[in-house]
Amino acid sequence: MPYSMTRWNNGLDEVEQVSADITDETNALPARYFTDPSVHEMEKEKVFGRYWVYAGHANCIPEAGDYFTRTIGDREIIVLRNHDGDIQAFYNVCAHRGSAIVEETPMTDPDNARRIQCPYHLWTYDLDGDLASTPRSFEEARLNPDLEDEDVPDLDADSNSLMDVHSDRIGPFVFVNFAADPMPLAEQAGKLKSELESLPLAEYELAQRIVSEVECNWKVFGGNYSECDHCQANHQDWVTDLELLDSELEVNDYHWVLHYKHREDVDDEMRIHDEHEAQFHYFWPNFTVNMYGTADGYGTYIIDPIDEERFQLVADYYFKDPELTDEEEQFIRTSRQLQEEDFELVERQQRGLKSGAIAQAQLGPNEHTVHKLHRLAQAAYEV
Amino acid sequence: MPYRTHHSRSAPFVATCPDCEIERSSDSATELVAFYRRHHRHTGHDIVVTRADLEFSAAVTAALDASDDVAAVVDGLDARYGVDKHDSIESGTDGVPIGIVVAAMSERGFTVGETLEAIAGVRMTGALYEPRDDHLAAF
Repeated sequence: MPYSMTRWNNGLDEVEQVSADITDETNALPARYFTDPSVHEMEKEKVFGRYWVYAGHANCIPEAGDYFTRTIGDREIIVLRNHDGDIQAFYNVCAHRGSAIVEETPMTDPDNARRIQCPYHLWTYDLDGDLASTPRSFEEARLNPDLEDEDVPDLDADSNSLMDVHSDRIGPFVFVNFAADPMPLAEQAGKLKSELESLPLAEYELAQRIVSEVECNWKVFGGNYSECDHCQANHQDWVTDLELLDSELEVNDYHWVLHYKHREDVDDEMRIHDEHEAQFHYFWPNFTVNMYGTADGYGTYIIDPIDEERFQLVADYYFKDPELTDEEEQFIRTSRQLQEEDFELVERQQRGLKSGAIAQAQLGPNEHTVHKLHRLAQAAYEV
Repeated sequence: MPYRTHHSRSAPFVATCPDCEIERSSDSATELVAFYRRHHRHTGHDIVVTRADLEFSAAVTAALDASDDVAAVVDGLDARYGVDKHDSIESGTDGVPIGIVVAAMSERGFTVGETLEAIAGVRMTGALYEPRDDHLAAF
């Protein structure tokens, strides 16, 4: 029988890379990756700058010209619906002198524009991002004695367009990728794409967004979301409806699913999927789709880092009608209770990690979803 | 009943989002402004300061009683909360932390968003300026 030991910061133990073998004692990310400010800065590029990241929900911008903004790391983007009905994403940066163009506009309160105009010098772009017009002062050189008007170069609409950000969708979910040549979203999503596209997700509207700030690294919460070994002890109200021992954790390349079987006597006719269970999908790096199984609706989480020891949990709830019924409000309140129970746990874990005692934690045999999260993080860091 | 209670329950500054029922407490009033900015970016929601342990001088109390004039409030707060320029030949201070101004204005019933909007409006008149980032001084 093999045995494993936690590696402490005791001057004797050494950390190693995350072992591919979950039975090895070095099966977890070293602790510094959860506490080091330089790791947070690195992740802006190596994680959130290279993989497909959730931007928002297409139903929130149904009309041409509807848009919202989203900030991912240090990058602020505009997500808009163009005249063809397609959704595009651009950096919120003017091609003239780099000014941010539009004000921050959350998905919950989208705006509409016939064209995108920078307020600084009034460069104006159409909904495809092409430069549509500039003031006359950019076509002639009347204030510059060293130039004749005919010396002023033309500003080509296409080559002076807004900087495009790769975007693609899975059903109504819009994702963006900042890499120059990213892998296709379908490749990163794998079977998540076909599973989500088989459900009528686009028939549901955003009914409520609740944003909480939590004092732990985003990967600590991601790991907590990804396993339910802690549920029996910490989510006692919720697990009464579950057959935890019959639950299944399914791991794919960049996403994993927790299938929580409902007890036989649970009335879950309201669910939007076929199985008698709740399904929680985690899509690397920081997006989840929550099929609760006991509501005719679904939820999503964005696990959005603030810094190395804080994140925002952006929890969105979708129902057929955005006006919540009493039952749906109660459902969200129950969901919030679960979140609060988890926040206690993850803030406690962050406190321990921050103390500096542990150099490299270890994962249990049924924490293979967490193992996948840690391995993906390490793979991202190494590129 | 708001959900989150960060840090100690006796933290001097506490703010709440009435829509999300999320509460944040901090030792720093300016952190509440940072909280507002992060929260507003995702939600568009405003934030209400629900606790602010401030020491008001008679000038601030008078300013708060007299009007919603944020410039007068900044001027009144400067003697107590302005940061001295110890190593500078310039007179005056490096300004009052914006969170202190937000907390003081909450006594008049202003939300964080309303105060920041009022500050922006007065700055555009030239009556307020920022000697350094997120610190205010009256001109």
